[in-house]
Amino acid sequence: MNRNFKNLVIFLGPLVVFVSLFALIPVIGTFWISLFRDVSFLPEKKFVGISQYVKLFRDGQTLRSIWFTFIFALTSVFLEMLLGVMAALVINENFRGRNVLRGMILIPWAIPSVVGARIWQLIFRYDYGAANYVLRGVFGIHINWTATPLGALCVLVVADAWRTTSFVAIIILAGLQTVPEELYEQGRIDGADLFKRFFHITLPAIKPVVIVALLFRTIDALRVFDILYIITNGGPSGATTSLSLYSYQYFLMGDFGYGSAVSVILFLMAFLCSLFYLKAGRFREAVS
Amino acid sequence: MKTTFIAFFILVVFFFGCSREESQLTFSVGGAPNEVDYWETIIHEFEEAENVQVNFLRQPTDTDQRRQGLVIPLKAEEDDPDVFLMDVAWVGQFSTSGWLEPLDAFIRKDGFQIDAMFQPVIEQVDRSPNGIIALPVYLDCGILYYRKDLLEKYGFDIPETWNDLVKASEKIQGGERGNNPMFFGFVWQGAQYEGLMCNFLEYISSNGGSLGDLGKKDITIDRKENEEALTFMRDLIHTYKISPPNTFTEMKEEEVRHAFQSGNALFERNWPYAWKLHQSDASPVKDKVGIAILPAFAGCRSAAALGGWHIGISRFSDHKEEAWKLVSFIMSYDAQKKLALNLGWNPGRKDIYQDAEVINKKPEMDVLKSALAYAVARPNVPYYSLMSSILQRYIHAAISGEMAPGEALSGAQGDIQKTIDSYHE
Repeated sequence: MNRNFKNLVIFLGPLVVFVSLFALIPVIGTFWISLFRDVSFLPEKKFVGISQYVKLFRDGQTLRSIWFTFIFALTSVFLEMLLGVMAALVINENFRGRNVLRGMILIPWAIPSVVGARIWQLIFRYDYGAANYVLRGVFGIHINWTATPLGALCVLVVADAWRTTSFVAIIILAGLQTVPEELYEQGRIDGADLFKRFFHITLPAIKPVVIVALLFRTIDALRVFDILYIITNGGPSGATTSLSLYSYQYFLMGDFGYGSAVSVILFLMAFLCSLFYLKAGRFREAVS
Repeated sequence: MKTTFIAFFILVVFFFGCSREESQLTFSVGGAPNEVDYWETIIHEFEEAENVQVNFLRQPTDTDQRRQGLVIPLKAEEDDPDVFLMDVAWVGQFSTSGWLEPLDAFIRKDGFQIDAMFQPVIEQVDRSPNGIIALPVYLDCGILYYRKDLLEKYGFDIPETWNDLVKASEKIQGGERGNNPMFFGFVWQGAQYEGLMCNFLEYISSNGGSLGDLGKKDITIDRKENEEALTFMRDLIHTYKISPPNTFTEMKEEEVRHAFQSGNALFERNWPYAWKLHQSDASPVKDKVGIAILPAFAGCRSAAALGGWHIGISRFSDHKEEAWKLVSFIMSYDAQKKLALNLGWNPGRKDIYQDAEVINKKPEMDVLKSALAYAVARPNVPYYSLMSSILQRYIHAAISGEMAPGEALSGAQGDIQKTIDSYHE
């Protein structure tokens, strides 16, 4: 018992300290601040309870931001998982130049996201962007890509998917390598075709890894800030203002209470998503 | 026991070992790399002259990031930075937040020549109920750049009204499109960011409009003059088509400058910094550029949004005496003249504009001085940033064609009023 407890302290202690220091305390602190009207240019801090949250759900832009953040996470994670699994299946096969390809697929992930965002901004530029250059050459038209909410969303999803597909691919690849080859042999003998083998052998085997990838990607996508700060700065007219960008804007204006309330909403969204994945994926059973 | 002790020791070092041994004067400044480098030179001169050590904190180029780098320590009441530069748009927020040290006592004690500054700027920006809390290091204002050669070729004068500008643009754009399909009549800043507010302010003010008497808490954005001006902004892109379709998605200062400098535009609205670059040897439009004050709507007075950076001292500074020495050094005739000559800045001191050497090297200073007479400051209220952020969204909705101008203005007014009311509940 005593020895057990000692082990517990030694192995879990540092983790608990770090998580509380860098995650738990800031989250609780943010929630605490969100209960105050903490505006730098008003004379005193005032406790207002949950009234900021009431205000939040009457604020059209907040609702728009929640909706955008949700749609962005949904579409970008879906696209990344789809492409990521496909890429992982390809680089898991044996062929010449596989190692080169494996290395190359990591490049977008290795590029800082701000740089990646800038690249996509230049590609989708109206006047000398590469996308319009091609369109002009082929169809003789050019498109103002980020002028409509839908266009801006698509540009952002593409930019995000380009960068993070490789992350998904690498995680899935690690999962694929644990699937024993014999299972496929058996499947082939039983006459299962490519798709059957994928859905009945591969997918169940890599499910825990898929859940992990989904979890990481969804949380990341919900927190999206850098690419839209660079590419659209929340435009057109606030249509691509994610919750983190919105909260940042309030922070800059000096309204810390309201900005914190927006952050708390974002935290809750990410938290609920994580819970859902872990429950729906029966993560505990899958891992054990 | 031994391990516990070592662990404890490491933690102590980790948390307390990094405290500074001696504090010194800290000066935060950002900007373009050449500007920051030049600041370093100035600081070095100051250190030699006054025998004060300065810790020079380099900030990024981006205005919002510079602000973020100041809001964090000031909100935490840190004693550093002691001295910093602020964009004219934040002075109100910083001052009402009680982050700025009043300078009147220093000014009086030192016999500092406050009269040498542009008085309207001091009154509109730097004077707060607590006295003077900042000083203008340099001033900016919106000006009109035009292509001398093209106006001459087609026989047009420098436009005095927006209508003149549209007419000249339509004609010349039609003529030039033949050899240059990317040619547009007029480029300006329409992306959703602070620059859009400056442009908006110029259009409404040059139509006799305003945002209301904000000092008296009267916010009237939804008025006829403003609606006409906003409709005109939208029409520049969608009806007259003399401004490019990406005006509202991409056009910030540098995009606008590039379009004009590569010969793709007849008129450009920009800040004075573009002059030096347009006239550089590598520029295709070198010696073909002129500057003038911005046009106005018929029967109204021109308006130029006031920009620029102001210097202030943190109220939490632990070196206020030395901080003031630095401020008065930077605001001195010599330093201001050097900034004008080396960085091409427009000093906050009026007397530099009469300096023979400066006039000789920067003949455009004359137009700038006259443009400054039309300067319109952004409202100097603490909630300006909030207002700006909401307004930007609605103006952007109007110029992207998503919302009717009238609807956008009444929407903005409603949202701003609601937020401000919630602060006074």
